[in-house]
Amino acid sequence: MGREGDSFWAPVPKVGGWRLFLKTVVARAYPRIIGQQRERSWIFFDVFLSILAVSAYVFVYRAIGAPEDYVGFVVIGGAMTPFWLNVLWSMSSQLYWEKESGNLALYIMAPNSMMAILLGMALGGMLGTSLRAVAILLAGSLLFHVQYTGGNVFALGVVFLLTLTALYGLGMMSASLFLLWGREAWHLANLAQEPIYLLSGFYFPVKNLGFWVAVVASMIPLTLGLDAMRQLLFPAGAATGFLPVPVEVAGLVVLGVLFLVAAWGLLRYMERIAIREGRLLEMRR
Amino acid sequence: MMRPSAHRYIGLSERWRAAWRSFRIATWLGWQIESNWTDPFLFAVYSMLKPLASAAILVVMYGVITQAQFQHPVFAYIYLGNAFYIYVGAVMTGVSWAVIDDREHYRTLKYIYVAPVRIPAYWLGRGVARFLTGSFAVLITLTAGVLFLRVPLHPARVDWPLFLLSLVLGVGALALMGLVLASISLRVAHHFFLIGEAVAGALYLLSGAIFPLEVLPAWLRPLGFMMPITYWLELIRRSLLGDAARAFPTLAGFSNGQLLGILTGLSVLFALVAAVVFQLCDRQARDRGLIDQTTNY
Amino acid sequence: MAADLAIETHQLGRIYTIRNRRERRIRREIVALQDVNLEIPRGELFGLLGPNGAGKTTLIKILTTLLAPTTGWARVAGYDVVREPHSIRPRINMVSGGEASGYGLLTVRENLWMFAQFYGLPTREANRRIEELLCRIGLADRMHTKVSDLSTGLRQKMNVVRGFLTDPEILFLDEPTLGLDVGAARDVRRFIREWMDAHPNRTVLLTTHYMMEADELCDRVAIISQGRVLACDAPEALKRRLQRDARLDIEITAPNSLTAAALEALPGVRKAVLTDVEGGARLNLVLEEDSVLPGVIQVLTEHAVQVRHLTKREPTLEDVFVDLVGRTLADSETGGGHGHGS
Repeated sequence: MGREGDSFWAPVPKVGGWRLFLKTVVARAYPRIIGQQRERSWIFFDVFLSILAVSAYVFVYRAIGAPEDYVGFVVIGGAMTPFWLNVLWSMSSQLYWEKESGNLALYIMAPNSMMAILLGMALGGMLGTSLRAVAILLAGSLLFHVQYTGGNVFALGVVFLLTLTALYGLGMMSASLFLLWGREAWHLANLAQEPIYLLSGFYFPVKNLGFWVAVVASMIPLTLGLDAMRQLLFPAGAATGFLPVPVEVAGLVVLGVLFLVAAWGLLRYMERIAIREGRLLEMRR
Repeated sequence: MMRPSAHRYIGLSERWRAAWRSFRIATWLGWQIESNWTDPFLFAVYSMLKPLASAAILVVMYGVITQAQFQHPVFAYIYLGNAFYIYVGAVMTGVSWAVIDDREHYRTLKYIYVAPVRIPAYWLGRGVARFLTGSFAVLITLTAGVLFLRVPLHPARVDWPLFLLSLVLGVGALALMGLVLASISLRVAHHFFLIGEAVAGALYLLSGAIFPLEVLPAWLRPLGFMMPITYWLELIRRSLLGDAARAFPTLAGFSNGQLLGILTGLSVLFALVAAVVFQLCDRQARDRGLIDQTTNY
Repeated sequence: MAADLAIETHQLGRIYTIRNRRERRIRREIVALQDVNLEIPRGELFGLLGPNGAGKTTLIKILTTLLAPTTGWARVAGYDVVREPHSIRPRINMVSGGEASGYGLLTVRENLWMFAQFYGLPTREANRRIEELLCRIGLADRMHTKVSDLSTGLRQKMNVVRGFLTDPEILFLDEPTLGLDVGAARDVRRFIREWMDAHPNRTVLLTTHYMMEADELCDRVAIISQGRVLACDAPEALKRRLQRDARLDIEITAPNSLTAAALEALPGVRKAVLTDVEGGARLNLVLEEDSVLPGVIQVLTEHAVQVRHLTKREPTLEDVFVDLVGRTLADSETGGGHGHGS
C-alpha cells in the first residue's frame, strides 16, 4: 500500500496544557449550540409556551389590581426561568445522562480535564439559553408594555454576568453530586423547580419572604441576581429590594468563586469514587 | 367457517383485551419507575414540596398585593384552581413523558412497538402513576389551604356526586390531551424540559385556573372557552364551594348539567383529535425511523 | 525489560461489592478478576478470549484507568493505572462494541471532531484525519449524516474511527466488530492490521468472541474464564499443545442406542461429542492416538451405525478453549450442555 510516503500514517501532532483545556471547552459547547439549531421544536415548547406561562402570572397580578411594576418583575423572572431550568436539566443532571449514553467513560478516559467538559456544557447552555431568555424578555415587554428605567446598563450587565457565572458554577458543582446520587438525580432536579421559583422570588420581590428566608434563599444565585436586576430596572425596585445592589454583587462574586471551587473538588471526588467503586460508570437503566 | 361479522366481533374483543393488557402492564411499570427510586419518606416529602411551593408562590403574590385578604372569594377561586391544576401537569406529563423516557433513557420504545401492545393504551397506563402521586399532591395542597389559609371547604357542604363525576370526566379529558402530546413526542427530540409540564404551564393562562377569563384580552378568550379544563375547573369549584363559586361571572349563565355536557362533548372531540394525531405522528415516526432514535445533545 | 512493555499486570484482581437495594448492610462480593499476570510488549497485537462475564471488560476498564483494581497492580505505557492516570490517558484510546458514543443530533464528522479536540488535535489535522479514516473504513459517504440516523453497524464503524483518530500508542478494542456485518468486520480487521504494520511501536489489546478474529489478528492470545487467565501464548503455540491428540470429525447414520459416554469409556478416547444433524449425526472425537480408531469403529458397528464420512483435522483455537475451559465458547455463554449424551 506504499505506506512509507503516505502522510496519513505520520505521527499526529497534539497540544496539551491550557490549549487542550480551551479546545475541550469549545468542543463540548458545540453540541449544545448546534444541537438546538438542528431540532427547533424547542422554539415552540420553550419560548412560546414559556411566554404563555409567564403571562398567566401577569394576569393574576392584573386580576388582583397590582401596581404595573409587578408585571415587569414577572417578565424579568420569566426571562431568567430558562437559565434555572437549563442549569437543572442540562447541567446538574447532565453527567448522569452522559453516563447513561456511554460518553462519561470516554470523557474520563481522555486526557482532557473534566472541568473543561463541564465548562463547555455550561458555556454552550448559557449561549443557547440566552436566546430563549431574550425572546421571552422581548415578547413579555412588548405584550405587557413594561416600562424600564434607563439606568446603569453597565451595572446591569455586570450583575447579569455574575449571576450566570455563579448559577452555572452551582450547576457544575451539582453535576457531580447528582451523578453520585444516581437515578434520584432526576427527581431532585424535578423537586428543585417550583420550590426555587418560590424561594428565589421569580414572580415577586424576595424581600416579602422575610429577611432570614431571603438570606437562605440567596444560596441560589438567582435570588440575588433577580433582586439586583429588578432594583436596577424598575422605579419601584429600590423600595422592594432585599439588599443594596453592591452588597448583592459582592454576594454573587462570593457564590461564584465558592461554587466553581466546589465543582472542581467534587469532580475530583466523583472521579475517584467512580474509579474505585466502578459503579458510577455502569449504566443503570 | 366463521361468518364475517363474528370474525369482526372476535377481532374487536381481542383488541380490547390487548388494550386492557397494555394498560394494566404499563400501569404496573409506571408505578415501579415512579415510586421505586427512593424510600417512602423521601417520596412523601418530594410529593408534598412541589405542589406546596407552587401554591405558596400564588399565596405570596396574592398576600403582597391584597395585604393578606385570604377570606375574599377571589382567594378561594385562585387557590382551588391552582390545587386542581396539579392534575393537568401530572396527567399530561405522565402520559407523554413515557415516550421520551422509553426511547432515550431505557431504549425500550422499539421493543414496546414490536410487541402486541396497543400503544395509546400503554401510554395511558404509564400516566396512572403520576395521576396517583398528583392526587396525593392535590390532597396535601387542599389540606394546607383549609388548615392555614381558611379556604372555605366543608366536607358536609360538598356536592360529592358532582365532584366525583367532574373529576372522572376531567381526568379523562386530560389523559386524552396527554395522548396528543405523547404522539407529538414521537416526532420531537429529547429536550431538557418536559413537554407535558410546558404545555400545562401555557394552558394555565387560558383555562381560567387562577384568574377569570374576563381578565384576558378579548382575542384570547375564545381559546379559553375551547379548553375542557376551563369547564372542568368551574365544575370542581361549584361542587366544592357551592354558591361561593359564583364570585366570578365567567360561566354563571351555564347550569351544572350544561357544563357537564360541554365537558363531555369536548372530551369526545379531544379523543378524535388524539386518534388522528396519533395516526399521523406514528406514521411519520415510522417513515423517518424515529422510533429508536436517541437525540441527546 | 519493563520499559519495553506496553502493558504489565501483576496479581491483578477486582472484587465488586454489591449492596442490597433495600437492606444496605447486606453486601455481596463478586470476583470479576483474579491474579492476572500479563506482560505485553510494545508492538504486539494481544487478544483476550473468553465468554461473557469472564472479566475481559473489567480488565480493560482497569487498564484504561476507569476502574481501580482491588489487588495487585497494573502499568500501561510504563505508568501505574491508579497513581498516574493522567500520564496514561494521552497515550491510549478505547473502542467498545455495541455502545453508542457521541451525540445523536451531531453529524459523524462533528462527533469525531469533538472527540479529537478532547485529545488536543489541531482542527485542520483532525478534519484531515477524519476524512481519510472515514474513506478507509468505508463511511465517507455518511460523513454529514446525523448519528441518530445511522444504523447500528455504521455507528460502530464511527466508533472504531474515533479510537484510531487520536493515533494512540496503546489501543483497547473491546469487541470492536460486534454488530458489524461480515464485510464491515473484515474492513475493520484489515484496518487494524494495516495500522499495526505502519506503526511497529503501537500496541493493541483486543477482546473478542470470535475465534477466527483472534486467530487471524493476534500475535498472542490469553484465554480467560471466570476472572482467571488460563493460558497465554501465540495462537500457533496454543494449538501445538493439542497436536499430540488426534481430532476426528465423523459423519454417521442415525446413532440408535449409541451414546458419547459409551465411546468415552473406551481406553484412549479423551472426548466424544455426539450431535444430531439432519438424516444422521456428527461425532467429534479426541483420541490419544490414531491407533484407538479401530476400537471406535467396532463400537459403531455393534450399534449398527455406519460411517459416512471421516475427517482428521488440525486443532483450532476453539479446541484449545474447550480443552482449557471444558466446554465451547458458545456453550459458556448460554450456560448450555456439552452436546448429545456426553
